[in-house]
Amino acid sequence: MFRIIKKSLATGVVTGQFPAAKALSEPVSREAIDKAKPFRRSLTIREVDTGSCNACEMEMNALANPVYDVERFGVEIAASPRHTDALVVTGPVTVNMERPLKDVYKQTADPKLVIALGDCAIHCGVFKGSYAVTGPVERHIPVDVRIAGCPPRPTEILAVLEALRSAATESEK
Amino acid sequence: MPDGQTAVARVQEAFPQAVMQVGSVQGVPMLRLHKQDVPAVARYIHTDPQVLGSLSLLWAVDHRPREARYEICYLFTLAERKDWLLLSVDLAGDEREFASITPVVHAAKWYEREIRDLFGLIPVGHPDMRRLVRHEHWPKGSHPLKKDFVWDQLLERVQGEYAYRKMHGEGVFEIPVGPIHAGIIEAGHFRLSVAGEPILQLEVRHFWKHRGVEKLFEQQRLTEAVPLAERVSGDTSVGHSVAYCQAVETLLGMTVPPRARYLRSLFLELERLHNHIGDVGAICNDTAYALAHAHCGRMKEQLMQLNDRLTGSRFLRGVNMVGGVSRDLSGVQLSQIDAELHAIEQEFAGIEKILFANASLTERLESTGVLSEGIAWDHAVMGVVGRASGIDRDLRRDRPFAAYHECQPTVAVYRYGDVRARMRVRLDEVHDSIRLIHALHRQLPMGPLTTQSVEAPTPGQWAISAVEGWRGEILYVVMAAEEGRIHRCKVRDPSFVHWPAIQWAALGNIVPDFPLINKSFNLSYAGNDL
Repeated sequence: MFRIIKKSLATGVVTGQFPAAKALSEPVSREAIDKAKPFRRSLTIREVDTGSCNACEMEMNALANPVYDVERFGVEIAASPRHTDALVVTGPVTVNMERPLKDVYKQTADPKLVIALGDCAIHCGVFKGSYAVTGPVERHIPVDVRIAGCPPRPTEILAVLEALRSAATESEK
Repeated sequence: MPDGQTAVARVQEAFPQAVMQVGSVQGVPMLRLHKQDVPAVARYIHTDPQVLGSLSLLWAVDHRPREARYEICYLFTLAERKDWLLLSVDLAGDEREFASITPVVHAAKWYEREIRDLFGLIPVGHPDMRRLVRHEHWPKGSHPLKKDFVWDQLLERVQGEYAYRKMHGEGVFEIPVGPIHAGIIEAGHFRLSVAGEPILQLEVRHFWKHRGVEKLFEQQRLTEAVPLAERVSGDTSVGHSVAYCQAVETLLGMTVPPRARYLRSLFLELERLHNHIGDVGAICNDTAYALAHAHCGRMKEQLMQLNDRLTGSRFLRGVNMVGGVSRDLSGVQLSQIDAELHAIEQEFAGIEKILFANASLTERLESTGVLSEGIAWDHAVMGVVGRASGIDRDLRRDRPFAAYHECQPTVAVYRYGDVRARMRVRLDEVHDSIRLIHALHRQLPMGPLTTQSVEAPTPGQWAISAVEGWRGEILYVVMAAEEGRIHRCKVRDPSFVHWPAIQWAALGNIVPDFPLINKSFNLSYAGNDL
């Protein structure tokens, strides 16, 4: 017990110990920000992997670690598409994942946002052209926000989520 | 116990009629066999106490347009001295059938189904002829790795349904999980048959993420495909790129300069570190022990930020290139690594004390998800999972590559095969990795980072390379085509071997322990599906 308390005291607060994000390659559009308004300042996310190499998933997972602690901004990861406000889609959409992706989109209640995370989701990346790939994501479902990078750093994902919440913050002032 | 050559002699003695020709590739003895004799020879190699070979890789090659034949190759690792032995068999002309070795060598099961899907060759006698890679909506006759299959064609969609193995009985019901999971996990499907809580049967159905990686390699040039190799499995970017580069370097007759070899080892260990520490945290998280998860998550993040500062990539991408490495580390950077790792090791040791003092954690981990040594051997399991089940294999020691000749790892082996053993292997390897990185720094030679190609490979020439990634053995077979292009690139992530084994580890465990068992294996879906 004392060992645990000692460890926690010695560690202190690590939240926020990360380098600042670089400027976004593509700013979040006004439409997307307006679309995010009904969610106020909380945003519940469902992540859908449609054939990524797992690096994007690792960075999404990193958002939940104590350093980024995305929950302090009201961002939560939902276990079901029915509980979600925003779908985060990674990967180039393989032929085998095309159906599940469309199903998930249908199962998500309106209003909803779709965020294409990573180069593969945006333009299929190194997998472009393959017989097994039918993407990019916007070929199958409407995409509102794009986060480029292979993979995008957690700080860059965080900056986009911040921008999406900005509309709600403005209207509350 | 025999080395490769003695094993060859034994096989020849036992099967004088079967062997057509004895050759060697990169010093690995290779036996050309008559088609009908393969199962008998494979059985002999696999079971004879004087040989004891475990199937490491099984792959096929379509030799068209140069020659109208398919070739199927079997790579065995001999138990005692870890020597390699290759078997090969030809299917000439219109032949489409080959004898399955799955009835005698269990580890061949998925490989042969994969060959059937990707090449349209039929493993006669295989006990499970369902599709593996090509899901049921793929049209008949679409076999992507045949040379007459156009790589960027659009596939039509047909109707079809996968037949899961059914289990019947009073109170037996099925739990389907995936392909889209509750957490932030890759796509895959698990079908659990349960009666109450205990799992009676687990069936893994994967390949949702099949992106056609091996076909994409064939569209690339030998020297330019490293970015694709890095994206086979994102968490093993260094492992896969080193394995790919080594195979190509063998083809091009390159000798990688010592400094580049050392840096490769160093990057491999950095990759091992952040993944292992993350896994320890994730295992604890699946027992709802959030404290350890938070601490491990923090340390993992610290390591990934270190990677970013050193190389400009949190996943160490872009450091490897054919012929060496593209990024040097300065003395200052190396001292930074030393200082940071020293601090992390102290902290990690503190967390370990907390973990071992926690009885409820031990209670969940001990005797959960046991993979016995026998089943592990049957499935040719290796890597972290194998070493937790008493399979003493580590390529860094057995077939040293990069700088592991000069800096040898201490191999951690446990025998219980449960979740706790898999965690202990990782804990030990974290400390050993840090020790190795310090040693690599101390011995790091000066000199150039890259080398030039001295020879062009003749079309049809191939090379095999093996790297111990943080999960286990990563194997690449690269065959050259005309004008520096790739004819065939076989990629084998350890996950491909371990997924069938996890079906056995879950048996008899309760449903809530399945995520924990899965986490303790922590296999790649992307590296498996390709």
